[in-house]
Amino acid sequence: MEELFIGFTSVTWQHLVMYLVGVALIVLAIVKQYEPMLLLPIGFGAILVNLPLETVWEHAGAPGFLKVLYEAGIATELFPLLIFVAVGAMIDFGPLFKNPYMIFFGAAAQFGIFATMIVATLVGFDLREAASIGIIGAADGPTSIFVANIFAPKLLGPISVAAYSYMSLVPLIQPPVIKALTTKAERRIHMSYHESNSPKWLKVMFPIAVTMISGFVAPISVPLIGSLMFGNLIRESGVLERLSQTAQNELAYLVTLLLGITIGSSMKAADFLTWKTLLIMGMGLVAFVFDTAGGVLFAKAVNLFLPKGRKVNPMIGACGISAFPMSGRIVQKMANDEEKGNIILMHAIGSNVSGQLGSVIAGGMVLALVPLVAGL
Amino acid sequence: MERFTEWLKYGDDTVKALGVSAGGLIGVFATLGVFFLVIWLSDKIGRKAE
Repeated sequence: MEELFIGFTSVTWQHLVMYLVGVALIVLAIVKQYEPMLLLPIGFGAILVNLPLETVWEHAGAPGFLKVLYEAGIATELFPLLIFVAVGAMIDFGPLFKNPYMIFFGAAAQFGIFATMIVATLVGFDLREAASIGIIGAADGPTSIFVANIFAPKLLGPISVAAYSYMSLVPLIQPPVIKALTTKAERRIHMSYHESNSPKWLKVMFPIAVTMISGFVAPISVPLIGSLMFGNLIRESGVLERLSQTAQNELAYLVTLLLGITIGSSMKAADFLTWKTLLIMGMGLVAFVFDTAGGVLFAKAVNLFLPKGRKVNPMIGACGISAFPMSGRIVQKMANDEEKGNIILMHAIGSNVSGQLGSVIAGGMVLALVPLVAGL
Repeated sequence: MERFTEWLKYGDDTVKALGVSAGGLIGVFATLGVFFLVIWLSDKIGRKAE
């Protein structure tokens, strides 16, 4: 008789909390539309995996469907890499080719990754965990998942939730930081823009060159950068339009769906309901703030060396984070709010696509350097 | 370089994180700097060809 009610009798208060967490994520996805494509599957996955007996994970010695997906797509890193193929097919590096110096803002805005890593060690995380937490500052879900899965798989759930939540909150996080670090006059700086078309051979050569250079500098980053650039090469080749469209649509949607619910399945109560989760959520915010500050302050530093009339609007430094194209659009909106008709969108988008490159390279650097100093 | 990484190995996690941060930031700037050169040179070559 007891067996009939095992579903009720095996529920703990921790499970109940996780159902609330799952429902909260689903509500955020539906009502607030915060990254709905990810937060909804993550929320539902969190509910599924915490239901009595965890049958979606394992039952009677056999793996459940979420465990099969986890081992096939997350443990092997396959899902984040497939997402990168899709993202690569969506990126147009054209705005960067027109203003190549924007690429340095994509480097400066990775500051949050490293600053947060230091903070995380100060609050008690070990180096591998701290590196995984810092990478939330990549503002790039697949990179966060890729790195966390290697260095701290137990923290994959909270790190993924933090990364995707804060990416959706970029419109709320960035403006106050930018305003705190810039003057009204700086936010009103105009930047000239000359329309010109980049040669096709440059667009085709770029993904190949980037992949090869990354392979020489940080070989461990090749799966990340290689899949991103493969998607971009498909797009720019001009002869694989159907594959490009498939990568941007069907592949992106299908893998996002599987990635979300599988990430949700990593949120078991025993792993998720710890003080570490709260700290990770807090430090994720710190990472985004440091990223934004790093980009803006770098732009201000660059302005010290530029003649009057050629100074950059320091707000574009904030677009160096990888949240594409949201960050670029926010900065354009801020520029327009400060002064009607101030158009810096193309510079902002150039900086923003650089952030995509910067975050992946930063992920590769972390993957290469942490084992080196930790002696793993 | 090897002496520096050896020294880092004996530091606590915060010291190691500082080392990774310094190396990581330099690495990101250097790598993207090379990408900048690729784009810049390609642009120059493209203009000359025109």
